[in-house]
Amino acid sequence: MGMVFFKRLKGLVLPLALLMTWEMASRQGRAYALTFIPIEKIGRSLIEITLNGELLTNLLASLGTASTGLLIGGTVGLGLGSLMGLYPRVDKIIGPVFHSFRQVPLLGWIPLIGLWFGNGCLAKTLVVCLASFYPMVLNSYAGIRNIENNHLEVCRVLGASRWQTYRYILIPGSLPFIFIGIYHALAFSWISTVGSELLFTAGPGLGGMMQTAQMAAKMDIVIICVASIGIVGLLMNVSLAKLSGHLLRWRSTR
Amino acid sequence: MNAISTAKRLPIPADALSLLAAPLTMLALWVLVTRAQWVPEQLLVSPTKVIEAVGELWEAGELQGHLQNSLRRLFLGFFSGAIFGLIFGVLMGLSKSMEDYCAPLFNAFRQIPSIAFIPMLILIFGIDETFKIIIVAKAAFFPVALGGYDSVRGIPKNYLEVAKVYQCPLWPLIKQVVIPATVPQILTGLRLSLSRSWMVLVAAELMAADSGIGQMMEWGRQMFRMDIVVVGVFITGVIGFALDYGFKWLESRLARWKTG
Repeated sequence: MGMVFFKRLKGLVLPLALLMTWEMASRQGRAYALTFIPIEKIGRSLIEITLNGELLTNLLASLGTASTGLLIGGTVGLGLGSLMGLYPRVDKIIGPVFHSFRQVPLLGWIPLIGLWFGNGCLAKTLVVCLASFYPMVLNSYAGIRNIENNHLEVCRVLGASRWQTYRYILIPGSLPFIFIGIYHALAFSWISTVGSELLFTAGPGLGGMMQTAQMAAKMDIVIICVASIGIVGLLMNVSLAKLSGHLLRWRSTR
Repeated sequence: MNAISTAKRLPIPADALSLLAAPLTMLALWVLVTRAQWVPEQLLVSPTKVIEAVGELWEAGELQGHLQNSLRRLFLGFFSGAIFGLIFGVLMGLSKSMEDYCAPLFNAFRQIPSIAFIPMLILIFGIDETFKIIIVAKAAFFPVALGGYDSVRGIPKNYLEVAKVYQCPLWPLIKQVVIPATVPQILTGLRLSLSRSWMVLVAAELMAADSGIGQMMEWGRQMFRMDIVVVGVFITGVIGFALDYGFKWLESRLARWKTG
């Protein structure tokens, strides 16, 4: 008990030192105080934008973009990946195209998407769709490909119907991989939401809010946005890990 | 035996054909659609236009300039970030007290996507080179540090205990125990770092730069020069592929050295 407390204390040393250095830098003069905003001022801004709803509106807009993109891109990716895993012919035809498109860094598509779809909600959602599409395709494909052949043979020997093969072999067998896919898709969808909002600044969203604050040299708002983005990302990871642990609890009993 | 091997060899030409079929069909479709002008020029440029744009940019020396600037930023940022990340990760894995002091802050910063730091870094360092190199270094730092940390912690405890009993000094310990046990995972971390660095650099150049592939694309977008944007997308893809492929090749070489 005492050891754990002591360990926690050690972990606090560096963050506190960082905060103190920041605070000291903010007191070096007016020019410094513009960049290294005093901590007290960050706190006041946080209360202000929480009370007037600015933070919540933008946060909800970002979450909306992320979840729409995740849902659409993830579903399409799951479908394509499973098809590629189940039918070698589909894999041969679509595989090369898929893998060559995948080489372009996600945000590298942004100028082209901007030319085609403007810089509003549609363009942002499309970027997020793409971000969640790739990992879902890769992992659902891997999930089906990793199913042991003798399991399928048992199905064939026992004369299992198509539905039974899916219900008892294909779906449970590929589920762990699909969860890894969702895990990656979730992380990428959040990163790409922020990225696309930074680059397509039209409309609400944490990224856009941060970009506007940067233009107006409001470091306090920028810091609050960065922190919120980190916290939301963390919460997403933790809750998905809990959920997959719960849903895949049958695996550990093997 | 013979029959099996011929049966296996037969489908290869068909494989190669089907491998190329889809990309070739897409290219043909692209040519057809733009030739027949089913979609306006502003929405989809023709492949010939794109090739012309490459020639034009190359003649003017712009393409080489952008490439050079982007790659210089990438390597400066990547190497500094990766070296610091490696040292930090390995130390954190080796030393319990270093872990106690640094891990919470490290894990907190790791949660925040690199791109989210761009506006903050612009406010601190301005829009010059410094901010781009730092953001690339940040992107490179975390996967390598994590790979180093995890792999050092994965070294079986008794190896380290034996070294302790024999009072093995730090350098031989690193050379003979730590390096062989950790190289594969660190290499994976480095590869991940490199591709993330490239993505973050392109994003940073799209947002604020006076040169580089990202800036070239952004300029093309603002001027409605789709040919230049497509050239940029193509180049970022080729570079991303080359970096990843080159690193995988390096990994397989080193893996062979390890088993050999």
